[in-house]
Amino acid sequence: MSTETVTPPTGRADRRGARQDFVHRNFGVLSISAVLAVLFVFFSVQTDAFLTTNNLVNVARQVAPTVVVAVAMTFVITTGNIDLSVGSILGLSAAALAIVAESGSAVVALVLALVLGLGIGLVNGALTAFGKLQSFIVTLAALTAVRGLALLITDGYSTPITSDFLLPIGNGRLAGLYTPTWIAVVVVAAGWYVFNHTRFGRYVVAVGSNAESLRRAGVDVRRIQLAVLTLTGLVAGLAGVITAARLASGSSNSGTLFELEVITAVVLGGTALMGGKGSIIGSAIGAVTLGVISNGLVLLRVDVYWVPITQGLILIVAILLNARLFSGISGQRT
Amino acid sequence: MTSGTRDLSTPRVEMRGIRKRFGALEVLRGVDLTVGRGEVVGLVGDNGAGKSTLMKMLAGAVVPDSGEIRVDGTALTGSGPRAARAAGIEMVYQDLALCNDVDVAGNLFLGREIYRPLSRRLDHKRMHEEAAKDLATLHIRISDTRQLVATMSGGQRQAIAIARAVTFEPKVLVLDEPTAALAAREVEMTLQLIRDVSTRGVSVVLITHRLQDLFEVADRFVVLYEGVNHRQMTPSETDLGGLVTAMMGK
Ligand SMILES: Nc1ncnc2c1ncn2[C@@H]1O[C@H](COP(=O)(O)OP(=O)(O)OP(=O)(O)O)[C@@H](O)[C@H]1O
Ligand SMILES: [Mg+2]
Repeated sequence: MSTETVTPPTGRADRRGARQDFVHRNFGVLSISAVLAVLFVFFSVQTDAFLTTNNLVNVARQVAPTVVVAVAMTFVITTGNIDLSVGSILGLSAAALAIVAESGSAVVALVLALVLGLGIGLVNGALTAFGKLQSFIVTLAALTAVRGLALLITDGYSTPITSDFLLPIGNGRLAGLYTPTWIAVVVVAAGWYVFNHTRFGRYVVAVGSNAESLRRAGVDVRRIQLAVLTLTGLVAGLAGVITAARLASGSSNSGTLFELEVITAVVLGGTALMGGKGSIIGSAIGAVTLGVISNGLVLLRVDVYWVPITQGLILIVAILLNARLFSGISGQRT
Repeated sequence: MTSGTRDLSTPRVEMRGIRKRFGALEVLRGVDLTVGRGEVVGLVGDNGAGKSTLMKMLAGAVVPDSGEIRVDGTALTGSGPRAARAAGIEMVYQDLALCNDVDVAGNLFLGREIYRPLSRRLDHKRMHEEAAKDLATLHIRISDTRQLVATMSGGQRQAIAIARAVTFEPKVLVLDEPTAALAAREVEMTLQLIRDVSTRGVSVVLITHRLQDLFEVADRFVVLYEGVNHRQMTPSETDLGGLVTAMMGK
């Protein structure tokens, strides 16, 4: 027996559908861009320091780790999965980078920091895709275990970084902008291309939309899941390197609650937590928005505790808007 | 029945002794099914008789507990959807299996996207053009291949699922309730499509509860009842009443 409803196809419905499609596809990016624009104007008017080259260049550097990981997280969330371990991976990678660089080769330290992230991502991905466990549980376990590992190898101390090879990764400048900003720009561009213009990106959407449909089309869904979670691990490792290089020190405590900031950025950008719909540009703008909020509030000399409160409120408003708008359109979701 | 002589001696599809158990429920208990080249088989049976399960096995989406599946003599048992598709088997699933968040062209090309080999860039333009062409060939009226499937009507979605199955020149076309959401004109078009492809030598398995349709296109009926082959007959041997009686296990 079929559960399909019969609606006669008409030209009018087609046109309405096409218009809804446009909104459906771009609403996330449009709304977060509007929020960012409003905040930008607000902080520019309310503070003297916000709209200065120096401040904006610094914000662009500060948000880089979040932007970079948010891009990878967009892939994960679009498949309907989640990665809670990115903050802990960031901490471990930062700590490992500093420790190994102190006692030996900076190049080895860099490679190791990235490979650690990749390896943990691979384990997350394998347990999720082939072990048939929920990514939420797997990466929750990793969140705890990896942070523990970071504390174990550092004994809780932070290690200074002095390497001339590593420091420019955080503090080098090119054409006025810091290296982390350029890394973020490259990652966003690459992520956008892969997400929108390759088969892999198409399959990421399909996994989140209807994994069984993709499986029946002959695509190995498990490999897609493995790939996206490996990717967030690697990119979280990169974020650890960027963070440690910028602070000139690796601490096992860096990246605490980073996963929540990243997920907030992604959701702000219009990516659906249930999967099937994501926007790389939206996630990047979402991450920048969170950075602008914390920067602007600090410049306003508001109590620093208002930063997470404001970010939380904006998240709720964004999600409410999303839910309202999509409830009418995604009704046929099966 | 509609198209002259057919070579039924070398079966295109051979399923032997297919068994499948879901938990305590043994859905299929040793079912056989043979389909010749260009033959249209009407697979019928009560709700829950195991028709969809049997055909999902042919399409590689479900693995049988035991039994053997051969296509053109080559064993294909449990080798997955990709292998089945490569062997020329296409199926319109009862639940359609479309991705709501992907557009019409994307669904048509799912799993065999056109891309440029070097940059690995999807050739969106060509896929949309070919999708529009394929839909037009099948007289499916969908104005915009960029529309998300989520926004489309049940009948349109069904039409897309059919288009996806027939576009890539299958050897075996399995249609599981393909007309459930279609209007009369579209049903007639689908039946004509079945006649057309079978004349070209494509084997068709049609599952439908619209039994009158089966009398229009099927060369043979296979009746499943309680997990076994219950009856097998041709349209000339029986009538609507006879088929209904057979479906009830009598
Ligand atoms: N994945 C599954 N897990 C558990 N039970 C299943 C599964 N797939 C099918 N079944 C059961 O197998 C039986 C046969 O299902 P199937 O869909 O093959 O029947 P059908 O003949 O296609 O029925 P209908 O005419 O209603 O489409 C049903 O009782 C169904 O509940
Ligand atoms: Mg069925």
